[in-house]
Amino acid sequence: MTRANKTRDSGNETIQMTQNLSFSLISTNKIIQMSNVSTSYDSKNFALEKINLSIDRGTNYAIVGQSGSGKSTLLKLMNGMMVPSSGTIKIDYVSPNMNNKKFKKMMHTIGYIPQSLGLVKNITVLDNILIGALPRLNKIQSFFRKFPEHEVTEAKRIISLVGLTGKENRKAYMLSGGEKRRVAIARALMQKPTILLADEIVSELDHVTAKEIMNLIADAQKRMNLTAIMVHHDMQLALEYANRVAVIKEGHKILEIGVEGDTIVDFQTGDMTTEEIMEMHADDTKK
Amino acid sequence: MTPKNNILIGIIVGLVLIASYNIEANPLDFVEGFPNLGIILEEILVLENIVDNMKYVPSALLAMLETLQMAFIGTVVGVVIGLPFSMLAARNLNSKFVYAPIRILLAIVRTFPSILWAMLFVIVVGLGPFAGVLAIILYTIGFVTKLQFESIETIDSDPMDAVSSIGVSKFQLIRYVVIPEAASHLLGQMLYMFDYNVRQSSILGIVGAGGIGFFIIQYIKFFEYGKAAVYLFVVLIVVLGIEWISVKIRDKYIVKSQHGMEVTAK
Repeated sequence: MTRANKTRDSGNETIQMTQNLSFSLISTNKIIQMSNVSTSYDSKNFALEKINLSIDRGTNYAIVGQSGSGKSTLLKLMNGMMVPSSGTIKIDYVSPNMNNKKFKKMMHTIGYIPQSLGLVKNITVLDNILIGALPRLNKIQSFFRKFPEHEVTEAKRIISLVGLTGKENRKAYMLSGGEKRRVAIARALMQKPTILLADEIVSELDHVTAKEIMNLIADAQKRMNLTAIMVHHDMQLALEYANRVAVIKEGHKILEIGVEGDTIVDFQTGDMTTEEIMEMHADDTKK
Repeated sequence: MTPKNNILIGIIVGLVLIASYNIEANPLDFVEGFPNLGIILEEILVLENIVDNMKYVPSALLAMLETLQMAFIGTVVGVVIGLPFSMLAARNLNSKFVYAPIRILLAIVRTFPSILWAMLFVIVVGLGPFAGVLAIILYTIGFVTKLQFESIETIDSDPMDAVSSIGVSKFQLIRYVVIPEAASHLLGQMLYMFDYNVRQSSILGIVGAGGIGFFIIQYIKFFEYGKAAVYLFVVLIVVLGIEWISVKIRDKYIVKSQHGMEVTAK
């Protein structure tokens, strides 16, 4: 059942929501803050230009946009794989930079699922998931591939959580698309993450499997109080699962909306209705 | 065919002729000397000689066993020593300041053929198979590392990026992503290297570095072609056998895993 169906009733909904949103705007509990961030792959064209984002801890945040709009780049900036050419980024008040020791430690708890999933195809499901525990291993354990018993138990618990029981010893290349995504999610959960970044992980799946995967992440997000930041192609899917949605177009954030039940509030301009947003996205899709 | 191509072909043909003249390559010598091959074959293929020379088969097999052991030790030790160098020489794992000097070092090692290394080690450790083993180890390091770092550079960057983003160490990245991803290539290269080293070990005896080559060169020197033929025949059979086993291993473990097919034990 989606959140939209669950929260369909209240008369005071808008008031309550406005209070929540106002609180979130002044809250200092920001896990991700981006201020005037620009970056480019070459010297001529910006991949992202003057992006401002502020994400609260525990939010289910969606980034929506067309191919090449800069959504994936935004995630890579958040996990330190790319550095901005200008502007500042803070992840839990730390600059995401591979050379920053504090951030390097923080990376252990940032789960990142790329669009390609990044599974090691020649090893088993269990071994792929145990990779998430690697930062907790010492050098000798790493060398001899000796995972502590409690880590193996935890991996098996997560395997059961993502519905892959009985497939622990299958090689990753032998799995279906949906199963591979479950392994990638499980690997990220094995990190005991505080932030989960996922890049269009349901875009190639059929509707039913996509929903299963999204429910799995939504469930994990609530259970572990994760901040989930998910890149989507599909606005409908984003509105269905996220608390907040940012729309990126040609490297610019053109819209940021808060979703509460069936109500959508535009944080940037405040003058757009749900219909207008959907229409605008539909127009973009046609292009 | 463009005039430019005709000129290029003309230059290549001209260079071949000049080089042939310089090394005194005369096809007539080959034609005139060809009947000598008949004399050798006559000595080898006479039934009486064949039966007589069969008594050398056990000693040929023992010499071949020594050759195989030389190749096996040389390959395993060479690959094990070479693997860390391959990791250091891969561009996708290191900065230019690391991979460039390592590549130069490996290129120097690779420059000398195993027989030259064997001559050097005969001087260092004396005559015998140990000199041959050392030569094969060094040649393997030079040769297999090139194959290895090239295949490491071609592995999919997505798992590396995904696992790097967890903040793992370089060693963990190599141990848990690079080696498993490149494993089928590395195994294939090891088989190829063993195959190659068996052939190489067969001739290292020429410079006194042990193996079956020592016997072959001795019999040829004393014009005992029948006995030499027995030893050569054993080399042929063993090399073909190894080739057959290599193909089976490749089919079962390498080709299937590279094409994403399920590998099942029969």
